[in-house]
This record gives sequence, C-alpha cells and structure tokens, in this order.
Amino acid sequence: MNRTQDEFVAARKPAWDELDTLLARKHLLHKLPPASISRAASLYREICSDLMRARTAGYTSDVLDLLDSLAARTCSAMYSAPPYRLAGLWELVSTGFPASVRRNARFMALAAALFILPGLVGYAGALRSRGFAIQIMSEPMVAQMEKSYSEFGHGRGDGADSMMASFYVYNNVGIAFRCFATGILFGLGSMFFLVYNGLTIGVVAGAVSAAGSGRNLFTFIAGHGAFELTAIVISGAAGMAMGYALINTGQRTRWDSLRAQSGDLFRMIMGAALMLLVAAFIEGFWSPSSILAPVKWGVAVLLHLLVLAYLLFAGRARGGTP
Amino acid sequence: MQLDNTVEVETPEHVRFRFHAAGPTRRAWAYLIDLLVRAGILLVVEIVLVLATGQHLTSGKAIMSSGTLLSLFLLEWVYFVAFEAAWNGTTPGKRALRLRVVKAGGYPLSFMDAVLRNLLRTADFLPVGYLLGLLAMTWDGRFARLGDRAAGTMVVIEDPVRVAAAITLDPPATAAEIAAFPHRIALPLPEREAMELLLRRRDLSPARRLELAEILAPVVERRLGVKSVDPVRFLALVYYLAVGGAVSVGKSAAGGLP
Repeated sequence: MNRTQDEFVAARKPAWDELDTLLARKHLLHKLPPASISRAASLYREICSDLMRARTAGYTSDVLDLLDSLAARTCSAMYSAPPYRLAGLWELVSTGFPASVRRNARFMALAAALFILPGLVGYAGALRSRGFAIQIMSEPMVAQMEKSYSEFGHGRGDGADSMMASFYVYNNVGIAFRCFATGILFGLGSMFFLVYNGLTIGVVAGAVSAAGSGRNLFTFIAGHGAFELTAIVISGAAGMAMGYALINTGQRTRWDSLRAQSGDLFRMIMGAALMLLVAAFIEGFWSPSSILAPVKWGVAVLLHLLVLAYLLFAGRARGGTP
Repeated sequence: MQLDNTVEVETPEHVRFRFHAAGPTRRAWAYLIDLLVRAGILLVVEIVLVLATGQHLTSGKAIMSSGTLLSLFLLEWVYFVAFEAAWNGTTPGKRALRLRVVKAGGYPLSFMDAVLRNLLRTADFLPVGYLLGLLAMTWDGRFARLGDRAAGTMVVIEDPVRVAAAITLDPPATAAEIAAFPHRIALPLPEREAMELLLRRRDLSPARRLELAEILAPVVERRLGVKSVDPVRFLALVYYLAVGGAVSVGKSAAGGLP
C-alpha cells in the first residue's frame, strides 16, 4: 500500500508518542509494570518496521530522524548495561585483579626492570656525586629532600598527616593513571614514566643517603613502598600491555586487538588505584610516625610478603572459572 | 541524505538505525561547561573550608588542606567517570549540549568503558589542549578520540526531533483546479525535496514562504505547462497530485497535523 508521508505520520504518530512517553518515564524500563514492558517491546518492533517503511518510501529526514532516535533510545533502554554491584568490587579485589596481573607477567617483569634499573643507576650516581643528582633534579629540590629527611622520625603532628595522605592520593594515583594512559602511544609513554619515576626516586634516595640520612629515608618508604611502588609498576605494565596490543594485533584490527585486552587493563589499573589508596593511608599515618625503626622494618617485611603473596596466589583456585 | 556524521548500527535483531556522531566543536563546548562546573565545585569547597577552619586563603593552609587535595583528585579523575557511569553516558556539560556516550553498537556504556575512555583523556590531551584527541577524531568516521576507540564508545547527539507539519490544502482542491493538470505528473527528486522544505517548515513566515515559492513555481509551471495564481497553493497541489494522488487531497488537508 502506498501512503503519502502525511497519511503515514498521522496514522502512526500515536504509537510513536506512546513509546516516547514510556521512555521518558523517570523509572528505568525494567522497573515499569510488566504490561508496560511488553507494550514497549511490541512498540519497538512496530517502530523498527515503520523506520524501514519510511526509509524505503523516501520520506523526509525529520520523520527518519524521529524514528531513528526513538529506535536508538528504545534499544539502549532494552539492552541496558550490567548494573553496578558491590560484589563486583569484591570480585575485582579477590580474583580479577591479581589474575590479570599474573596473565601479564611478562609486562610486569619488563615494567619492574624499567623501574628498578634506572632507580639503581640514579641511586649509585647520586651517592657518588652531588653533581649527578642536580643534573636529574633541580638543586633546590635536592637540598630540600636532604633537609627534610635529616630531621625525620618525630611524626608530623598538627593535622598534617591527613593532609599528606590526601596529597599522596592526589599525586600518586595521578602518576599511576598517567603512566597507564600514555601507554596508548605504543607503550612509549608508560616506559618513559617508569624510567623517569624510577630514576627520580633513585636519585632522591642516593642524595639523601650521601647526606647521611639514608636510614631515615628507607625506614620511611619501606612500609608503604610495598603498595606504592608495586602499584606504579602495575600501572606501567598495564600501559605497556595496551601499547603492545596495538602492535601485535594477531588476526584483529589494531583497535579490536586493544579492546580484547580491555578487561585486563581495566582490572589492573583499578587494582593499582586501590593499592595506591592503601599506600597513601600508610604513607600519611604510619610511615612518618615516631614508632621505633625495628618495628617499622618488621611491618614493612610483612607488608611486602603480603603484597607478593596476594599478587601471586589470590584467586588462583577460582581462576579457572569466570 | 546521508550526512557525514551519521553512523548506522545494526542490532542482533537486524534492526538498523542511525545515530548522529558529535563533532569536536560541540564536544569542546560540553567540556568547557564541565570545566566551569568543576571550577564552581572547587570554589564552593574552598569557601566552605575557609569558613569552617577560619584560615585565610592567603595563608596557603586552606589551599593545601586535605579537603582541597581530595576535591582536586575527585574533580580531575572521578568526575567524568562517576557522571558517565551514573547518568548513562552523560555529564552536566554533555546534558547541556544534548550529547551522550554510547557503545559503538548503540548500547549503554558500562562502568569499565567509562573508566577507560576517561583515563585515556590524559593521552588525548597530549601534547597540549587535546591535540592528539582532535587528530584521532579527524581520522575516524565516528569522531572517536583515543579513549573512545580503546573503550569502543562514541559520543552521539540527542537533539529532540519534531515531525514537520503536514502539507495542507485549505480550502480543498476543486475539480477545476485538478482538471488543469496533466493526468500523470512526474516530480523529480530535487523539486520534491525543495517543495517539502518550503511547504512543511513551521518556522517560515508566510511572506518568506511565498518568496521561496515564487522561485520554484515558475520552474514547475514551465515544465507542466500550467499557469498558477498563488505559487504556494500551486506547489501544494502539484505535490499532492504527484505524490499523494488526487483522492487524498481533501482528507489529508482536513486531517493535517497540528
């Protein structure tokens, strides 16, 4: 049957308006009464055939646009995204994150090397000559570091702990996210940030040690370092995994190859962010406290073992099942 | 009709429909609004902090407080993710510009997609001012920046659509009027589209409609060999005789859409 556009619109407009009001409800589609849901489903099918008819008949673009947008809105209401559950967070922490880290063990090893080796170079160099240190960092920065660690170990007091914890959240999570995100440049950005951060930390440690406050510094970082430095390495590894997926694509297109990895990347970066939150807490409240050094070292060893065991073994038993 | 920014998706039920992908300018405006919203939130936080602690901003203590630092963290890294995840792909800025992030297949985006596309803002921002993101957008039919490609998402426009008014003949065509035309009228597509444009649009003033009809009517008159009195009515008649047939003239004219 050939109908003019105006007849078609006049005949079908009530159905379109009905669907429009169903979609415009404040409640999500699946929270509506069953009758409304099945009505929406049947209207959706009608609208889809209206759309085909209108397209074939060559009706004007406003009619096509209206039907396109109605169909799109209904489709997105019917296929809604998986809901957010607290259980999802637990799944991430208990299995997903450590399993993803283990799956990317090669990148973990590479990231650790790119972080630790420049750190050792920086440490050795800054320990031998101050000139090396101020080549990497500015002189006032080095002097400030030397000074701040020379008078250490008495706590901060005065509400500074919570301020510093917040600073570590802001600063360190930012570093980890940047380290990950720049991995999209075929992994180069992540490599740069790993080397740069490793080198800087090494130089600080070397310069402070050369100034005679090495014990203070290592006692300070030993505790939170287990979480913080590991998380930076994980984010760098995730970044490199992302870059590598763009290079070694297998039988996929470049971006499909990346998207095939996106679950692992997501779990690794979210896990790293959670670890950095823990680290910020330790670094803000525990690390600077005036607790005796042997106690801090004992706790630090425990924390390192904890992180290592977590990443190596957590979720292994259930690793086979999704 | 196929415009540059239309993206066709096909659902599992083999239904095809089209989105309009949003270009860089519109998204930049949305980003600017979000930037202002974030700046506004920070300002409110600072004012509350100053009032609550009694410290002056100039002392620097309020600036370097945990409240400020946590706000900065939330605004820089969590703002976009939280809004896009909670508001089904929109943020205040995107709502203002009627934009929405959806999966490339037209589905709503998941939390994971929101995280990936927003973390990769950092890479899109490089080297300065989202230059890399802009380059990536020009490379892609869906204007996807790097974050969009990694997450498999696109930003679409959701402008409200109104169906244009029906073409009316008031009063209905008389037998004499119809008799003046040939039995079959062929209407080439460009002419039909021009007629649709000037007869359906609501926002044309009668004077402007007449002005446009006076350009188009002589072309049709010459081809059909029919003289017209009122160019607008003449074109409406031609449209009906060619597209709808003479029978439907009176009925449709009476039952025209409001």
